[in-house]
Amino acid sequence: MNSNPHNPKISASAPGTAYGSGDETLRLIASLPAPAGLEGRVHRALHVRSGQARVLGWPKRLNPQTGWMRSAAAAAIVFVVVGGGWGVYTRVAHNQPARIIVMPARMPAAGGFSSLGAMRTPQTLPGPVITHPTKSHPTVMKGRKPVTSLKSTGSEGHPTAAAKSAAQSGAGR
Amino acid sequence: MSTSQAIYAGWMEIPTSAVNDETRLHAEDAALAALVDEYAGALYRVAYSVLRNPADAEDAVQEAFLRVLRHRDSLGEVRDHRVWLIRIVWNIVLDRKRRAKSRPETDDVEELARVLPSTGLTAEEVAVAAQHHARVLACVDRLPTKERQVLVLSAFEELTSVEIASVLGITESSVRSRLFRARNLMAGLLDHQRSLR
Repeated sequence: MNSNPHNPKISASAPGTAYGSGDETLRLIASLPAPAGLEGRVHRALHVRSGQARVLGWPKRLNPQTGWMRSAAAAAIVFVVVGGGWGVYTRVAHNQPARIIVMPARMPAAGGFSSLGAMRTPQTLPGPVITHPTKSHPTVMKGRKPVTSLKSTGSEGHPTAAAKSAAQSGAGR
Repeated sequence: MSTSQAIYAGWMEIPTSAVNDETRLHAEDAALAALVDEYAGALYRVAYSVLRNPADAEDAVQEAFLRVLRHRDSLGEVRDHRVWLIRIVWNIVLDRKRRAKSRPETDDVEELARVLPSTGLTAEEVAVAAQHHARVLACVDRLPTKERQVLVLSAFEELTSVEIASVLGITESSVRSRLFRARNLMAGLLDHQRSLR
């Protein structure tokens, strides 16, 4: 049986085979005539729906296809965008000074170690470097006491730094 | 060239800017009416082959054309209206069948005896034929979905394998292989039924 003139290969089902009768049934179902008046009923349904769509559609004056309506819509969009942007701009304060956040004093945990009130002293900068060379044997002025060795032999020419570092090393032990 | 194609070919040639809304709507309505006149019967048969209920099939056809009405602006872009419409109604009937799975099939013998042509047959022959068709359709329903869909669509003489592939969204070679498997399965099922009798 070759009943599909458009597509001979797919419609070929050998007669006498087990499936031959199955193919026949499906073809019979597929070739059933449509009920009388189907087109008319579909036309009516489309007419009713089409009418409803037009009633619910835009009135002619407010037709979105017209030029002024488009302009108004565009203006409304611009207004909303600009207004929103302005609102955000006015709410955000500019060039705010940096806020100082006062950190609460750290309380030692109960039963834990404490710092015993020790304060951290930051490292100071190195002192000014003497550009002109000092005399190896300074002349002792008459009527004056000689300078103590502690002051003259300060590390890097800054007596307080040496003293502080010594104090720190002592405290760290 | 079919009536609707001729209308759309003519409609597309007219520049859109030159046509006012009323004329455009009128042309679309006319094209849609032509589509209904030309393809409503074919769509009904496709719907009936899946749903096997005249009222449901007619509802499906109406729904298909209502969908077309909603998207009539894009009608001019459609190349083959027949395959496009069959694809729409196919999706609708599959959806309906999926939703109404709990509902019993209407493949009862009396309904088939009423629907199927019985010219020149006695009442007894009609009853026997209806029983046979009901058994075949029961076997079709037991096929896997993919094979069943191809088998049902292949029964439509106006659909080529390329068009079936287009409706189902698969390749033509897949259509052929699925059809081959479907026929083998059907032969096995029908043999099994015969041996039981």
